[in-house]
Amino acid sequence: MLKESEGLPRVAEDAPVASREAKAGYCRISIRGSDRSFEVKKNDLLLLSALAQGVDYPHNCRVGTCGTCKTRLLDGRISPMVDFALSPLSNQQLKDGYILACQAKVRTDLEIEVKLGQHKTLPVCNLPSRIVHWQRLPGDVIDLRLRLEQPLMFGGGQYCTIAESGSFVRRSYSFYDSPPDPSGQGADEVGFLVKRLPGGRFSEWLFGADRSGVKIWIEGPFGTMGIDDFDRDALCVAGGTGLAPILSIVGDRIGRSQQSKFTIVFGVRTAQDVFANRRLNELLQQAPGRIRLVTILSHEPAGSAWPGLRGLVTDALDGALGVDFTQAAAFVCGSLGMVEAVEKKLIGLGVDPGRVHADKFIPTGY
Amino acid sequence: MLDYLKYCLSPVVLAVAAYGLWLGGNFTWLGLGVLLAILFADAFLEPDLTVRDSRYPWLYDVIVSIAMALGFGVIFFYAHLVGSGHFVTTASAIGAFTTMLLLQFVVTAPALHEMFHRENLFLRWYGRIGQVLIFDPWREITHVVTHHMRVATPDDPDYARRGDTVYGHVARSLYGQVIEAYHLERTMWTKRGRTWWDPRNGWVHRAAMLIVFTSLLLAFGGIKGALLAIAVCLAGPRTMLEVFNYCNHYGLISATPGRFEKRHTWNHLTPFVRILALEITNHAGHHEDSYKPFYELVPDRTGPKQPQFLMCVLLAFVPPLWFLAIKPLLRNWDEQYASPQEREIARAENARAGWHDLNESPVAAPPLNALVA
Repeated sequence: MLKESEGLPRVAEDAPVASREAKAGYCRISIRGSDRSFEVKKNDLLLLSALAQGVDYPHNCRVGTCGTCKTRLLDGRISPMVDFALSPLSNQQLKDGYILACQAKVRTDLEIEVKLGQHKTLPVCNLPSRIVHWQRLPGDVIDLRLRLEQPLMFGGGQYCTIAESGSFVRRSYSFYDSPPDPSGQGADEVGFLVKRLPGGRFSEWLFGADRSGVKIWIEGPFGTMGIDDFDRDALCVAGGTGLAPILSIVGDRIGRSQQSKFTIVFGVRTAQDVFANRRLNELLQQAPGRIRLVTILSHEPAGSAWPGLRGLVTDALDGALGVDFTQAAAFVCGSLGMVEAVEKKLIGLGVDPGRVHADKFIPTGY
Repeated sequence: MLDYLKYCLSPVVLAVAAYGLWLGGNFTWLGLGVLLAILFADAFLEPDLTVRDSRYPWLYDVIVSIAMALGFGVIFFYAHLVGSGHFVTTASAIGAFTTMLLLQFVVTAPALHEMFHRENLFLRWYGRIGQVLIFDPWREITHVVTHHMRVATPDDPDYARRGDTVYGHVARSLYGQVIEAYHLERTMWTKRGRTWWDPRNGWVHRAAMLIVFTSLLLAFGGIKGALLAIAVCLAGPRTMLEVFNYCNHYGLISATPGRFEKRHTWNHLTPFVRILALEITNHAGHHEDSYKPFYELVPDRTGPKQPQFLMCVLLAFVPPLWFLAIKPLLRNWDEQYASPQEREIARAENARAGWHDLNESPVAAPPLNALVA
């Protein structure tokens, strides 16, 4: 569980501008362009300290691998836990003064540039669970459902880390379920779409046999992918199992707005790899007329019976899609290369860069 | 002021050892004798849980800088003495070699480790250059990045799992570190858009450091002096650092890599080990904040502890004795420290090691202070 730092109040929305000194042993963190500020104990990590105080700091992995917590350091000094060249920050971002908040130990008062989110962060839990559904789907994907020993709250588009009981091997997967009712206790059961990575330590184990009944540890939720104005129409682009957070986000947003419409562009290799028909149909039935699905196949044999689009997901993103790119919130999830290509294309089509919410799936390993 | 004086022990030991080398004959064993006497005496002392005075931090840094300078001096001096045929008898040559092995491991290596972890640019570079004294200037990158981020998991090449012997561990870790160092360096030069041979790449200027160091050894001691000095560096601090890693996280388990908890390391808190090792063995504090200078580390009073450090190293070289000593400590760790998830991983690790007795119902373990320092 995230713990509140001792002695630090939760930051109020109207916290005063940082004109006063931080108390002894603490550093004041001021955010350019905002009235908000908060204090971090000197030498603490910027992100963890912010989250512990309830600051809705953008974050995802928290260990320096995703880049979501990237922050522009305008003034002050931090010490990086690791060389930022080993992080997802690009060379240009390094030159522009970007740091990763999760790897930054605060040494002095700071002035930073970061876009704080809009929702309250949920406490991170470490819970035991059992596999109650293990189903092979087309395209080398498994639909995995876990029944939790205690309920878990999570938001749309968030993810958790799962590990087989007794194993060091842990991997991150996005929830594909719609988030539980915030006024309730949380979800008793959660689901994931797991793609087989040849030689992958976790996925090869999972695919090796029916793992129903196996105990699994879950740690989460993490991530802040699904946040945007709920009444805004959404363009969702998913590559393969990147569909999982999209299902969660769309399921969440459907319930929160009566008017928003959704276009889901779903890319897989061939018609035989389309693995998500059941989950997609469930979603479509939740809000008939509000969700449009466009499936595009990248490696479908020429001359096959497939009547739909062929090509990469970026090929489906054009005027023919019928989306107002300038107004849409975009949610993109898939492999690193796919997400970067889609982001670039969407911005070129007029999507506000601040409205592109991306989750890059990077294989952890072997 | 006594706290500051304590750390003068390191440069004093280096000076005494150098004096013994200079005297030659049986006096080449002087440094080894002094170190072993201190460490054996330390094994009978109670843990030191005090926090150091930190009113004059610059004084500590001066002392440690002097110690490292003496570490440089003594290896060049040794090379020169070897090259000039100073160690006439076999006994004196062996005495000199073994003195140097232990000296550079126990006294000099902690100084360079301390320095390359620091934020201060001068001290950090001093430490980085100091890595030539372990003849591995690339060691820092996997230590600072991978070890600190993946501690107590098999993804850390420095980690020894239950059932591993020190011999297998040294071989695996040396191999794993090379692979990991290459991976990290390649990531950095690729990210920065540089060619692999760009002189701004870390590995390139570290290679240059090693060339300069080797050249100086040759200049001081000729081929024989240089070869023996390099052998000291490799067999001494370079290898023994892996023995240290073997002991220090042996069999412990982290279910949350990237988020260190104090239970993920063993500690050795006897007074002279703390002083000579510059608090490295106050290991929990070091992992919590690796930038924290040694004199600011607070001993973990309730954390996992092992027998006195020298005892651990000696036991490690005899695997059956090591397993005899460590198993009750690991059983206690499983019961008292591990999170529920870590406890399950521990059971799997015990089974993997063939230590099924550790997975049996808990029996009354001997009091911890009966086993550890």
